[in-house]
Amino acid sequence: MSAAAAFIVWLGAALLVLSEGRRALALGMALITVGFAVLALAGVGALAASAILVGGGFAAGRRFRSGPDAWGVMPSGSTARVVLAAAVGLPALWISTSVMTGPGAPLRFAALSVLGLMTARVLTPSEPPAVLTALAALALSVAAAAGVAGTSPGPAVYVLAAIAAVGISLIPVRELDGA
Amino acid sequence: MEPELAVGLPAVGSVCAAFLRARPRAALLAAGVFGLLGVAAVILTSPGATSDQLGLGLSLSPESRALLIASGAAMALTVVLAPLAVERATLLTWGLAGLAGMAAIAAAGSLELVILVVLVLAVLQAAAGSSRSLATRLRGPVLAAALLSLAAVCARAEGPQYLQRFAAVALVAGLSAALGTLPYMHDFDPDERTSTSPIPWIAFIGPVLALAVLARARELIPSEGGVLGAMMIGLGLLNMVWGCVASWRTENGAAAWHYSFIADWGLVLCGLGLAIADGQSAAILLLYGIVLSRLPLYLWSRQSLREKRPNDRPINLLAAAMLAGAAPFAGFAARVLLLRGATQLYWPLALAIGLALLLWLPPSLRLGRSLGLPRGRQAWGVGIALAINVVIGLYPQPFLALAGL
Repeated sequence: MSAAAAFIVWLGAALLVLSEGRRALALGMALITVGFAVLALAGVGALAASAILVGGGFAAGRRFRSGPDAWGVMPSGSTARVVLAAAVGLPALWISTSVMTGPGAPLRFAALSVLGLMTARVLTPSEPPAVLTALAALALSVAAAAGVAGTSPGPAVYVLAAIAAVGISLIPVRELDGA
Repeated sequence: MEPELAVGLPAVGSVCAAFLRARPRAALLAAGVFGLLGVAAVILTSPGATSDQLGLGLSLSPESRALLIASGAAMALTVVLAPLAVERATLLTWGLAGLAGMAAIAAAGSLELVILVVLVLAVLQAAAGSSRSLATRLRGPVLAAALLSLAAVCARAEGPQYLQRFAAVALVAGLSAALGTLPYMHDFDPDERTSTSPIPWIAFIGPVLALAVLARARELIPSEGGVLGAMMIGLGLLNMVWGCVASWRTENGAAAWHYSFIADWGLVLCGLGLAIADGQSAAILLLYGIVLSRLPLYLWSRQSLREKRPNDRPINLLAAAMLAGAAPFAGFAARVLLLRGATQLYWPLALAIGLALLLWLPPSLRLGRSLGLPRGRQAWGVGIALAINVVIGLYPQPFLALAGL
């Protein structure tokens, strides 16, 4: 179950990297949210999972309602992004399962994948809706990364990450790109 | 007093000022009251005492508390004595938002909380609009958040010892990316408003953020203190040389100020990296200097820089002496402590730092001239900033004691 959830998280992050339209961005965010919620339920508890669901769900909903009205998956010139999605996923898988030891490999894989892919999304030239969606996902992954420790970080970090994701999603995207 | 109030009161003040922006006097009054209450809450908070009311384990360290007080004082100074062209309510709105974020960073009980606050502050600043693109504005803080998260994962995961060293590398790199020092200098547009430029990261939020990240680093990777310190000293030397030379040689005056902050951070990184009492004391004095003197002087130099009217009056020379770290200013005491600490650790390091210190003179003369001829509020501000710096330089012990040193 945890392994499937981790794969769903990576799939959502890859979709966020590969897409420009609001539908695909919202779907990517929703996949990340569901995956992280399952992992948080297993590792921390229901409150943490609920917080992730609410925060990520709100961010996905907001993105579905604003931005270019299309799927926009893999527009022309996406080859580098496809390579990026794989290039981040494979090392994350190797590090989380082979270099790092102990239980919790799915969570490590999910957290590392989202950290890598969302950072790449923000650092490469992107439209404001994609950047803000990536930032909301990044906030959730920061909380998820806290669960890598042997001891539970408690639900407070997840609640704060959810609040951050909601806050980031509420930023109006118009007039954000000054250049 | 609980740290929650130190976070909440400035945040409320900032929100009030934002809502009342159509009525600047009311905005200024409301934000001023909440800002003063927030600084009072910081002063009355017991350093080291943990509050768990929100389940987050908030606690202010003595160093962070001292720098928060200094930041509050710097903000009050710049708002009260702001140039006529600057809207004080707007300045206070952004200043209080930054102060609330800094208090949250300082009080955060875990690295994840620090990262989340950094992300929120970055988005708030980016949302204000600027001539730079959204992705460019977010680049530094987001990279910092990712690197610091990676460091936390590497430090906490079970595995070989080198994971801890990767964590140390990621922590130093993340801190550098957040501050905007080499090798992750933030893109700087000289014509941009200060509140939306990289200056708040390097001169206002940066000092508290650096102390918070390093405090968390000591808990996360206690066995890699030497590696962490060595990297910080290396980066510090690089930033000193690059910052001074660039500040001296660059054509644009505002960019010269930006590079001068980077040079000062080089000294701070060296001091923090030494990990002995003299180094820590030097770093704290330098951070006081950045927040209480260099930042206000930069703000008051903006108008003169725009009008391109440098000056060579005695006040300009005094400002240059302060920026160069000459006696009796705080920078001098800090430099003496830094050289003494470096000599204790490894004398060739003191020699390298000593040679690098010579580079401060030419850019400081240039920056001092760039203040122009201060008049009215600006003259009072420059005088007060210089006086504060002299007091810290002549009597550093009370200021170090405030920081628990």
